Order: sequence, then structure tokens, then C-alpha cells
Amino acid sequence: MSLVNYATREITCKIVYYGPGRSGKTTNLHYIHGQVPSDRKGQMVSLATQTDRTLFFDFLPIDLGSISGFTTRFQLYTVPGQVYYQTTRKLVLQGADGVVFVADSQRRQVQENIESLQDLHANLAEQGVDARTMPLVIQYNKQDLPPELIMSMPELEEALNFRGVPSCAADALHGPGVFETLRGISEQVLRKLSAGRGGA
Amino acid sequence: MIRHTISVGWADTSLKRFVDDARLQVAILMHTSGQVLAQVGFQRSLDVQTACALSAAINASAEHLGTMVDGTPFRGLHFAGKTRQMFLGQVPSTGALLLVLGVFDTESSLGIVQLYLKELQANIAAAAPTAEPDEPALAENFETDLNRNLAQLFGRA
Repeated sequence: MSLVNYATREITCKIVYYGPGRSGKTTNLHYIHGQVPSDRKGQMVSLATQTDRTLFFDFLPIDLGSISGFTTRFQLYTVPGQVYYQTTRKLVLQGADGVVFVADSQRRQVQENIESLQDLHANLAEQGVDARTMPLVIQYNKQDLPPELIMSMPELEEALNFRGVPSCAADALHGPGVFETLRGISEQVLRKLSAGRGGA
Repeated sequence: MIRHTISVGWADTSLKRFVDDARLQVAILMHTSGQVLAQVGFQRSLDVQTACALSAAINASAEHLGTMVDGTPFRGLHFAGKTRQMFLGQVPSTGALLLVLGVFDTESSLGIVQLYLKELQANIAAAAPTAEPDEPALAENFETDLNRNLAQLFGRA
């Protein structure tokens, strides 16, 4: 849930990066952390395994500055993508204001993408949240890989974006698409907030 | 029904009193999802958010571990370091369970903190609002501010 402090005019929103294992969720946060000036970000926390797979979550708070007179902060989280970390995924998803679904564009990963998207819908439903009301952006990551290894944008849209939500191609390792994704989800979350109470 | 927006400010006085009475150095009151409701003693708001995220994770882990190994969730945590101690406790509020994180040194003790925790729980229960403000938080034209600030963040202004 968004947190609005009318007394100090502050807004805090929680954005969760969701998707299958190794799709690039942590890479998105690393890129953002590397680009944002130090006075506008907090410490990036990564609870990872010895092989650098996300164990619990990655966390990065960023200060967006003043929006409509409110100091606006976003808390960016990733979930562990591996199937067996279902419990921690549910915990991190609690209270999310918006979700970025990071899909792996590789052709051989299409089934993992679909299963992770289904998992997202199931976990939201379990928390009493209608997925259709949750701000969502789909990012098709790893678009820098050779064309023969990845699906085209129309193919990816056909396979994953049945709701017709905003989507964008990305190469999170080098940056293209990361900024656009964050802008897309921020806009949706704040638009929902500006419309007043739109709770599920 | 899940509330989309919660307002804060109502918990400040209760938390400040808890800090003074229990002689804490810093304290944060937060939602179990890691959203901060009130804080005393931290200098940077972004550090507060990190402390909240980690506290929420500890609480969630302890609850699930407790359920797995003992059949009931573990509630509360105390860690004693060389010079500082940390206490994480639960505070029931209207329609939600909150967490309080307190840090103290030799000026206080776990017993004192636990004693005043009960008072904090009562004060929070009494002060918690039953309804949210109705007004929308943002003007409709917030996109201009958002685009400008995001561009500045990523060095594209």
C-alpha cells in the first residue's frame, strides 16, 4: 500500500520486480543503483546465496524528489525467481503498489516466463488482490542477445501480455529500457494514487 | 479489503514517548510489509526505509520458521551486541499488525523496553485512526513532475 503522510507531505510506494530466475530483476536494480546520485538513493541491500542468486530479496530505496508538492520515495524490491522460493516471493509481494514483470526474452525461457506470470497472479489472488487492478509493466529483458536466441517483440507480447499492459524491450545489463520501465510503473502507481482510494 | 493508501502522523507522539520512557536511541514503527509509519532518531529517511525492509523480513522469516518448527509463529526478537541492543516487537493496531524496532545501549535494558512496549501498544491502539482521508494525494498533472525528476535521477535532464 502507498503510504501518504499529509502532515509532512511525503509519499512512499513499494514496487516489486517479479519474474523467473535469472531474468534480470537484480540487474535492473543494480543498474538503477549505479545511475542514481548518492543523495537520492539508500543503500542497496541484497540477501543472496553464495552463487549470487537472490535468496530473500534485493532492496533499493530511491528518492524521486517533489511530485505535486509531495516528497516521493519508491522502495524497489526484487523477489527470488527460482520456483522453490515461493514463500519468500509471497512475503515480498505483500503490500506492493506496483509490479514490474521482468521476462527473459530467450526463446527457451518462454515456459518459465509463463509459469512465473501465473505464479504472480496466483500469489496476488491469495492476498486478496485482483491482478487486473495492480499497476503492472512487463519488461522483455536480454534484447541484446543474438536474434536467433530471442523471441521477437510481437511473439513475446502474444505469449505474455494478454492484458495489454505497458511493456518495453530492455537490456538491463547495459541500461536500455531500465529507465523506461521505471518511468512506466511509477506513472501507473502515482496515477492510481492520484485517483484516490483504489484499493482492491 | 486491502487499503490502498494509509496516512501517517498519528503515531509520532506515542513513539516519541516510548523512546523517552524506555530510553531508546532510535525507534521505528512500521507496517509488517516494511512501510514506515513513524520514526525517532534516524537522520536519513532512506536509511529508515532500509531498516524497515530488513525488520519486516526478519519478522516474516521468524513467523514462518516458528510455524514450521514449533507450530506457532515466533514473535519478537532481541539481539544483544557489544554496546548496543536491538528489540523487535509486535504492536496490534486497527485492522493491522505493526512492528516496532528499538535500539538501546547501557542506559536501558530489555526489561525496561518490554515494560514500556505494553504502554506503547495501548497508546497505538487508542491513537490509530479508523478512517482514511478522502482527498486524493496527487494532482492530476503529476506526470510533468514525475518525468522531470526521473530524468534528473538518470542524468538525462
